[in-house]
Amino acid sequence: MRFPRFFAKKRGHRRTVSEVWGSVAEGLFHAGLVVAGLVFGGLLATGVAVPEWRINHRFVEAEAIVVGKGLARRTTARERTWEPAFRLRYETPAGPTEAWAFRGGPIATRARAVALLADVSLDATMPCWYDPDAPGTVVLARGYNWWMWLLTLLLPSALVGFGGAGLVRSIVGWRKSEERRAVTFRPIAAHPHPAIPSCDDLVNSPGTVLRFRLPTSGTEGWNLLGFGLFALLWNTVLTVLAVTAGLDLIGGRIDWLLLPILVPFAVVGITGIVMFVRQLVLTSAVGTTQLEISDHPLRPGGHYDVLLAQSGSGVFQNLTVTLELEEQATFRQGTDTRTERLVVWRSTVASWKDVQLAPGTRFEAKARLTLPATAMHSFVSEHNAVSWRVVVHGRAARWPAFSRGFPVVVHPVAPSPRHAEPQEMSL
Amino acid sequence: MTSGLDTAGRFPAVTASFSSADRRYEPLEEILVRYTVELPPTAVVRSVERSILWYTEGKGEEDIGVHFFERITERAAVTEATAGSSFGARLPSSPLSYEGVIVKIRWCARVRLFFEEGRDFVSEHVFEVGHVPVATIVPS
Repeated sequence: MRFPRFFAKKRGHRRTVSEVWGSVAEGLFHAGLVVAGLVFGGLLATGVAVPEWRINHRFVEAEAIVVGKGLARRTTARERTWEPAFRLRYETPAGPTEAWAFRGGPIATRARAVALLADVSLDATMPCWYDPDAPGTVVLARGYNWWMWLLTLLLPSALVGFGGAGLVRSIVGWRKSEERRAVTFRPIAAHPHPAIPSCDDLVNSPGTVLRFRLPTSGTEGWNLLGFGLFALLWNTVLTVLAVTAGLDLIGGRIDWLLLPILVPFAVVGITGIVMFVRQLVLTSAVGTTQLEISDHPLRPGGHYDVLLAQSGSGVFQNLTVTLELEEQATFRQGTDTRTERLVVWRSTVASWKDVQLAPGTRFEAKARLTLPATAMHSFVSEHNAVSWRVVVHGRAARWPAFSRGFPVVVHPVAPSPRHAEPQEMSL
Repeated sequence: MTSGLDTAGRFPAVTASFSSADRRYEPLEEILVRYTVELPPTAVVRSVERSILWYTEGKGEEDIGVHFFERITERAAVTEATAGSSFGARLPSSPLSYEGVIVKIRWCARVRLFFEEGRDFVSEHVFEVGHVPVATIVPS
């Protein structure tokens, strides 16, 4: 039995591999998640869930007399709270028992806690529940903290579920080859076009003139949402900080740490608003772009009519429709997952100059799109993609240039009948 | 014809040839791979896996799509498979071989030998599907 290799080696066209260590590390990581989930769940269960369940199911109800009362004060570095406490006398099988019990939870102001305490007079009676195993442990209320139960169930379950699934995957894939694992987890399917993205979402909208209306890739909308959310969240934090600083100033105190921080925070906040407004104006002022196509999916060597419809107002210095092929590669860099995109083929379909648009009207023009006969088909896998799209580039007077992409799917051309019987081997 | 000959004789040598002399196939065409194995004198093969698959190369993480897979574990069949044998399949309509800039798609036939000692050896033989030209960077 030889010690497994740490690294795989590639020697020319063949590889000597031992993926034992990779599988072991992966298995250990997922086993660690399962253990962490079980430990975390156990701690939450024993610390919160079980005591709460015992109070509701095992504690014995009794009638208690208030023989003393006071305030329990809890002081932390940030705050001080008070909680009404009552000295109770109640009957247990062991005889009369006295113990302190709390009611109402921590209260931020002492006056309010005192007022609550005053509501209960000495010698008053109230129901209580004591622990039959430790009669000195008594509570004045029962019930469940649902958030805590949710936390108890959700977080450990997620850890155990994720880790368990990974562990099963590691065990099932243990000492299996890359090909066998691929077949185990992604069985060989008789798909008519393997590794080609579906175009169902691209052919469900009929066009007004041509057969299909293509949806946009929609980055403009996401950009607008992104800018809006950033501006909202950042300026909310800024407002809270500014109000805190303002209240301090009114109270005669100056927080020398907070005030200098506010200045760069305000600059970023205002920039965020400006960017959002700019994007909003840009999106709405340029007008919508629609693209229709005569057929879909596309085939290499095929000819297709496209109809461009551009709304807006004023003069568009240029409007250009291009067909582009883009490669996308997703890879891990440290702990980040990055996606790189690169256009590897571009062809101009049509171009128009100085297009004058009146409000309420739209520019419409047809063009002929031709796909090269040797074009690559659309391709998608877990981390890689080769995508085709029609892109409308434009520049309206007084506005920055814009580009709007319309994804299309290209299927491979039907193969030529060169399917003779396999030739004789030439060894 | 390709071979995985190791001059030191420590590794097996797998020699493969394809039914298409130029190793270029059309989608949906039948492919047949014939191979021979030269084993080191002390090596004992426990099982053999033969597969036809595509995988990606380039900047992204590697993806793999297995089109044909066969695992041989029965002793007599293993002996036969390591003495020299063939396997094949009808290729799918996609994906085609692609030589992109940051994404490449390669088709290959693999013969993987598992030894009694626990180690495995894989021999990979690349072939082409389709006639997609090499991609280049487009100036922006």
